[in-house]
Amino acid sequence: MSLPPDLQFYFMHFMPYIHLPEGHKQYESLWVEFPNRFYDPVKGHQLYQRYISEFVLADKLGYDGLVVNEHHSTTYSMMPACGLIAATLIPQTKRAKVCVFGTPVNLEYPNRLAEEYAMLDVLSAGRLEVAFPLGTGMEYWSNPANLNPTTCRDRFREAIDIIIKAWTEDGPSTYDGEFYSYRYLNVWPKPYQKPHPKVYIVGTGSPETLQLTAERGFGYASVFVPTTQQVRSFYELREKAATYGHTIRPDQIIVNAIVYVAESEEQAMREGKEHIAFFFEDALRTTPRFLAPPGYLTTDQLRKRMTATALHGKFDWDMMASQFRVVLGTPERVAEAIAHWVEEANSSRVVLHLHLGNMPHWKAVKNLTLFAEEVMPRLRKLSPAAAPTDGRRAAQPALQEVR
Amino acid sequence: MATATLKREEFTVNGVKIVQLTAGKGEPLVFFHGAGTFHGFDFALPWAEQYRVVIPFHPGFGESDDDPKITEMHDYVIHYLEWMDQLGLGKVNLVGFSLGGWMAAAFASEHAHRLKRLVLIAPAGLRVPEHPIKDLFRVPGEQIPAMLVHNFEVIRPHLPTGPDVDFLVARYRETSSLARIAWDRPYDLKLPRRLHRIKVPTLIVWGEQDQVIPVEQSDAWAKLIPGAKVKVFQEAGHLVLDEKPEALKEVAAFLV
Repeated sequence: MSLPPDLQFYFMHFMPYIHLPEGHKQYESLWVEFPNRFYDPVKGHQLYQRYISEFVLADKLGYDGLVVNEHHSTTYSMMPACGLIAATLIPQTKRAKVCVFGTPVNLEYPNRLAEEYAMLDVLSAGRLEVAFPLGTGMEYWSNPANLNPTTCRDRFREAIDIIIKAWTEDGPSTYDGEFYSYRYLNVWPKPYQKPHPKVYIVGTGSPETLQLTAERGFGYASVFVPTTQQVRSFYELREKAATYGHTIRPDQIIVNAIVYVAESEEQAMREGKEHIAFFFEDALRTTPRFLAPPGYLTTDQLRKRMTATALHGKFDWDMMASQFRVVLGTPERVAEAIAHWVEEANSSRVVLHLHLGNMPHWKAVKNLTLFAEEVMPRLRKLSPAAAPTDGRRAAQPALQEVR
Repeated sequence: MATATLKREEFTVNGVKIVQLTAGKGEPLVFFHGAGTFHGFDFALPWAEQYRVVIPFHPGFGESDDDPKITEMHDYVIHYLEWMDQLGLGKVNLVGFSLGGWMAAAFASEHAHRLKRLVLIAPAGLRVPEHPIKDLFRVPGEQIPAMLVHNFEVIRPHLPTGPDVDFLVARYRETSSLARIAWDRPYDLKLPRRLHRIKVPTLIVWGEQDQVIPVEQSDAWAKLIPGAKVKVFQEAGHLVLDEKPEALKEVAAFLV
């Protein structure tokens, strides 16, 4: 068996706030309106220290990427400014790409985001990868109401257009859009990687996001939708991108997997399952209203979602294990599952949720270590070396050696 | 009691399919509905005894198509100018409720010469800091119906009895249309500068128990529109026309 070439493993951490108060179950949503008096900054500090050490460990263990992302007004994530965490990781890590997957584009001025990401790319000598998310519905409730969810998709498109222009064209230039206009678009710094850091769009398979990804030939990650639907999206994306003259490579397709590795399947279930349950029942718990602010979805999409599998606040192990990429087991079993997933998706980028929910440090370390030492080699063996690059300047190992 | 029924008409305004309901003969009485059309318009039938009642669905609401290019209240004002021209409506009596009240006030502040008389029923559109409009975007959908009325029995027949995807999708669509123009705020900060331009007889109607737009806002409107009269009905909530036949009579009498 041969897997897609240059198979790489990214470790993603949501950095959740896990100290939920007694009786938190009475809150329908731990997003948007969950009172922030329940946040204890001392515990928050301890968690930051711990979570960052897990990222640093992942770099040492040979993970190819460290993934952060951004959410607001929630216990789900302590990264309302994920670029700050990325900046923290850069000097503490050497090899792994720093993947900012990322700030919801509409929450920042596009030039500001272009600058921030260019800073990270320069700081890391080209280790940056970015993903542009539209942002969950919840973000639109927690940010200024002059950011209108009814126009968020058009604004999102325009902002991305500005960011790419700011990165790839020499400034000063101008921009005259529906939502933003620039008299002098002239970002300093510009990215280290040319023409720009690798870009993905994060979506849930909605036609609008897929269309945008296809037009621009970006990479794509599909989250919170069942695997079969994701694979269908990847297929559609490849077909559609081709009509715009783009070939979507395996390294542009991200598959996400929830993984716990242990000595036996029973032990993996015993150690891992409860934290995955916490993630879905508690960290993700919110209301349909917050998930879909007015105009965020078309009525067709809303209708589909109303009949789709509920993931926010519910946890059904059998459903999860049969519809999503979840594997808890021995290294052999985990490697086998991942081999299947990357093959069916024709993907060479695996984003691994090796810490999830309220998993304690020792389990995260064990999981990270076992995966790196026992699973990765099994899979790398099956994947040919990197294909020739597409002309982007690769990160410069020599410079990193010096640091 | 009226025996008329509402007749459905369909046509196109500036490329958008518009559906309107009409009944009766005589002088036109145009009604601008609020942001939720689920409670229907049978309440308006008594007006058809005296007037040609015309109830257009706004673009994005009820049976009319969406117009995603509408992003501010003024787009509706222009839409209704075109609509009136197309229907050959000269001067009309304009009655607007809630969101439609804001629409009617905005229209009147620019084009009062197209109106005979104006009635604003619990209108949105003004910022009254001491008596703010309830932010319905903050209220879970299932709690909204009870908030609209004083007597829940008035609205009960218009609500689904169990889970109803079509009903929820229709509400989401209308709420989205509302959000296009009012996600940031349910009022126009510039409106107070313009209301003095309404130089037609104006009646302001409110339900005393309005939980959405407090009845106290009627004073602010009365101060800003020259000569406006206020009529408040007891034991009535936001849907005062649905709840109080007397309110309908009051409107009909005012328009004569």
